[in-house]
Amino acid sequence: MEGIVLALFVCLLLALITKYLSVPAIPFYILAGVLLGKAGLGLVTSDVISRFFSDMGLIFLLFFMGLGLKPERIAANRSAVLTSGIIDLNVNMLIGFFGAYMLGFSITESLIVASAFYISSTAMAITSLIENRKLMLREAETVIWLMVFEDLILIIFLAIISAGNQNLIVFLAKILGVLAFLYALAHYGKEFLISILDRDDELPIIFTFAAVLTTASFSMYLGVPETMMVIALGVAFATTDPDAFEQHARPFKDVFLVVFFVFFGVTIDFSGGVNWYMITIICLLAIVSKLISGLLTGLFIHRSALSGLEIWGNTIGRGEFSIAIAVLYGSPLVGTTIAAMVIVTSIIGSFTAKYSTSLKRGIMHLGRKKSPSHRVHPGR
Amino acid sequence: MSAMSLRSLNLPGVGTKYEFETDKGDTVAIFFTKTGTIQMYTLQKGCHTPSAAEMTPVEARRLGNILTGAIIEADQESVEIAFSALADLRVTIHSFLIPKTIAGRTIEDLQIRAKTGATVIAVCRHDRNIVNPPPAFVFETGDAALVIGESDQIKMFEREIMVD
Repeated sequence: MEGIVLALFVCLLLALITKYLSVPAIPFYILAGVLLGKAGLGLVTSDVISRFFSDMGLIFLLFFMGLGLKPERIAANRSAVLTSGIIDLNVNMLIGFFGAYMLGFSITESLIVASAFYISSTAMAITSLIENRKLMLREAETVIWLMVFEDLILIIFLAIISAGNQNLIVFLAKILGVLAFLYALAHYGKEFLISILDRDDELPIIFTFAAVLTTASFSMYLGVPETMMVIALGVAFATTDPDAFEQHARPFKDVFLVVFFVFFGVTIDFSGGVNWYMITIICLLAIVSKLISGLLTGLFIHRSALSGLEIWGNTIGRGEFSIAIAVLYGSPLVGTTIAAMVIVTSIIGSFTAKYSTSLKRGIMHLGRKKSPSHRVHPGR
Repeated sequence: MSAMSLRSLNLPGVGTKYEFETDKGDTVAIFFTKTGTIQMYTLQKGCHTPSAAEMTPVEARRLGNILTGAIIEADQESVEIAFSALADLRVTIHSFLIPKTIAGRTIEDLQIRAKTGATVIAVCRHDRNIVNPPPAFVFETGDAALVIGESDQIKMFEREIMVD
């Protein structure tokens, strides 16, 4: 128990410092966990309580993701979502997968590394667009829809990988059944739900917490993983009053997610040896492959490589979802690799997002210096 | 007035975006973000980098008042609301600082409604608000009165009552 208190206190300090410097906090929570945990000073160990808190963090993260996925809105923007989404998926999944496979991971492990490698941090991308005042850039919308597409792919990935040995069709039918049931519940109980959410007392917050936990616990009886259950709940609840649900679930998500990140760091174990060579390659690939997908997206959608640089700058950071994949399916070696990738890419990503404008200006400046010599030729 | 094309857009995870292009070709975009702040971007025609300002809701409301063209002084502000569905009904709400000359007199005795047609709907006194003051309400110096009416009635109020 003292472990959690110590870890939370350190995270509180880190949150203060990172907010002040306006850099993402996630990599520092993980680093704090590594320093305090098994691989570092050994002051904090994970126990039943911390594991429960971490589970809550993951569940609320996914519930939130479900709330933000409004299927009808995605359908209305299909073309915007699809082109960039497919480029991003193909480039990064392929580079991630073959990179990991060449470095000696098994096929399953490579798939897990590739998924963590593919999915950028939605939280970091959106915070950086807002904080760096980039919302009006035409690339901002592309980045935002890219994040939505990645969330969809993550759900499909979670469904496929958690099906395990079950028959995939039976498994998908079960998920759709759960989704249909929750949709019907949200549809026919809409007025009741809204009447609860509108209250000023403690009821809405108790209800939100209980609904998420109850849904997650039903996973045991249905053979559908709790990750799928809470995403489905979020998607169904999004048809009622998603803003109210976000408001009431936010405190739980914010606190438990910090515990989730820090204890992910705590459980990282270097005793089996760390392959720094492998980690360096994966981190470099992670940055380069988003550059390639960013440039292609920029050229395809905005007809400009500079737009591609802007997209790259805002999507380098991997974060919460990569860690979620590592926690759910990663072996210790995969976990360490993903942790390192998240730490490196999110710190570099925060700088590229902040300075992408100067970077673009620098490149344009160089281009302009060259251009007079180009113009001479046709004149001759 | 030409119909300017105002586009509004919901951006998942970010908030709501409003954007329009002015007659001269400049672009203005406003974002109500989920973090509660409001960002305003302006992009001059022919430019590539927009400039941005981030505001709290209070600051944004203040800016809105200035843009409707109705602010007179920093502590006396007015808002005009147009209801296009009600035959373009325009209602103005204006705040006035009560001068010494009318301190000690009541709403009834000043004949505000009869003389101007405007109505005092609220009075702010020592940071407390008195909504719908009764006719027998006595003004004090330092009060700020909120008056509602058509813009002519508000002008009349300013001429007839404030200098009484």
